[in-house]
Amino acid sequence: MLEVVGVTKTFALGAERVVALEDVNLALGEGEVATVIGSNGAGKTTLLNVIAGTCRPDRGRIKLAGQDITRWPVHKRASLIGRVYQDPLRGTAAQMTVLENLALASRKGRRGLGPLVGRRRLALREAVAQLGMGLEKRLAERVAHLSGGERQALTVLMATLTRPKLLLLDEHTAALDPANAERVLKITEDLVRENRITTVMVTHRMDQALAVGERLVMMHKGRVLLDLGYEAKRGLRVEDLVALFRKVGVADDALLLAELPGNGWAASAAAKEGSHGLVQIRAA
Amino acid sequence: MLFLHAAEQGLIYGLTALGVYLAFRVLAFPDLSVDGTFPLGAAVAGTLVLRGLSPHLALLGALGAGLVAGAFTGLLATRLRIPGLLAGVLTMIMLYSLNLRLMGRPNLPLLGRPSALVGLARALAIPRGYEALAASGIFALAALGLLLLFLHTELGGALRAVGQNPEMVRALGTNPENLVVLGVALANGLVALSGALASQYSGFADVGMGIGTLVAGLASVLVGEMLLRPRGILPHLVAVLLGSLVYRLAIALALRYGAALGFTASDLRLVTALVVLGALAAPVLRTAVRGGEA
Repeated sequence: MLEVVGVTKTFALGAERVVALEDVNLALGEGEVATVIGSNGAGKTTLLNVIAGTCRPDRGRIKLAGQDITRWPVHKRASLIGRVYQDPLRGTAAQMTVLENLALASRKGRRGLGPLVGRRRLALREAVAQLGMGLEKRLAERVAHLSGGERQALTVLMATLTRPKLLLLDEHTAALDPANAERVLKITEDLVRENRITTVMVTHRMDQALAVGERLVMMHKGRVLLDLGYEAKRGLRVEDLVALFRKVGVADDALLLAELPGNGWAASAAAKEGSHGLVQIRAA
Repeated sequence: MLFLHAAEQGLIYGLTALGVYLAFRVLAFPDLSVDGTFPLGAAVAGTLVLRGLSPHLALLGALGAGLVAGAFTGLLATRLRIPGLLAGVLTMIMLYSLNLRLMGRPNLPLLGRPSALVGLARALAIPRGYEALAASGIFALAALGLLLLFLHTELGGALRAVGQNPEMVRALGTNPENLVVLGVALANGLVALSGALASQYSGFADVGMGIGTLVAGLASVLVGEMLLRPRGILPHLVAVLLGSLVYRLAIALALRYGAALGFTASDLRLVTALVVLGALAAPVLRTAVRGGEA
């Protein structure tokens, strides 16, 4: 479904040249869900940007659903790609209602002179009811009134509403409190599975990277260091990942810790992992 | 008489206020080209009427000219990445020369020439004395209605989203730049139509009649918002028209009774700018005062 072939991207930072992606290759089958982990500056977000079209690779090609989209502008790719960012504010129009936001998403790319909501109301109401957040009773409310979790759940629904060929998730639960992060992640997994959407999910949380999807991609300094399939991923634990990180050169505890978001992570990791691995590192 | 004339002007300039609302509030694009498209509408309609065209077709010509000029500003801002304010200033300056060339002189007298306002009122058998009020009311309400409908279409919805989150619009498959061009074009179409009506109402087109159009439009928008505190599109559009009426009434009163306080007509733009300044600065000043108290 998705093919990233030999993609290289270099940024000029003053006089310095920073290699954000170096000969990155990645192939995902239809409906396959891959999580991507890596320290800051590993190139995770740049990879998503290159796929979504917000930045153009220096070399290499992007293919999606049998088409070479390397030179397509962002808005054209949007017919095939849904994207959710870390910041819940980025995915919605705050001063428009829940229903209007959904309607805009349901008519991706098609902007005629027909009514924005009109007869779509019922179908959209049904779709938003599936989130289980009671938003179907708040259709006429402006999105600005929603909480971060509600807003992000709505964004995920909007991104998957037209069943895109590919869903890009850029740490989309990182800005939420642990309970909401879990809810939004659950909603995401349900929607992705139900619609069989090929998905690339960038995350900082190793437990999430292991628990979600059937592929695991580890990036470091612009390269794909590790690309594990379902079988290899299944037996993996967080401490194994940490060991892998150390092995490939992210041996510095400080760097490893720097990438862990402080709030929420330790608690959920502790709950899941007892006093193993990362929690020990954190305490050290 | 004072109230009647103020109401007529409030409705005619209400079209300008609606255009400014569309650009400034909906698109978040403070568009100075309206200072050029207001007289452009007057110049185009005036010239066409003097050539013998019907005043209604002349209005259409003005509308078209405004759309083109607005699209030009939109293209400068999006395709050439010129900052919005500067793009508007450039269009405005170009239009100044263009308007002069179009009219052939700085002022075009239209007194005694056919007017769309009078024509419309006659067709509807409006009682004498209220022709201009009824006709300008019809134009203003029609513009409000069409704008209301448009903003609830798929296209209009996307336009509203652009002002709030262009990145989201792009991610939802529409090029926000095209929407900005469309929105600024529509805004200037409304303003040019307003200028054409104003010229037929007052009996002349003048190359200088556009100075302060944006600021006066903003004043109407802000006054309306202060009065009604609108939520939603319809209340907002109504507030803008109401703001225009109140603003024109305030001007009429100031001109009538201001002399006693030492005001003259030439102080008008200063006072208008101060009103806009105050309204725009209010949130900051309020916070500063509160911060000082805490």
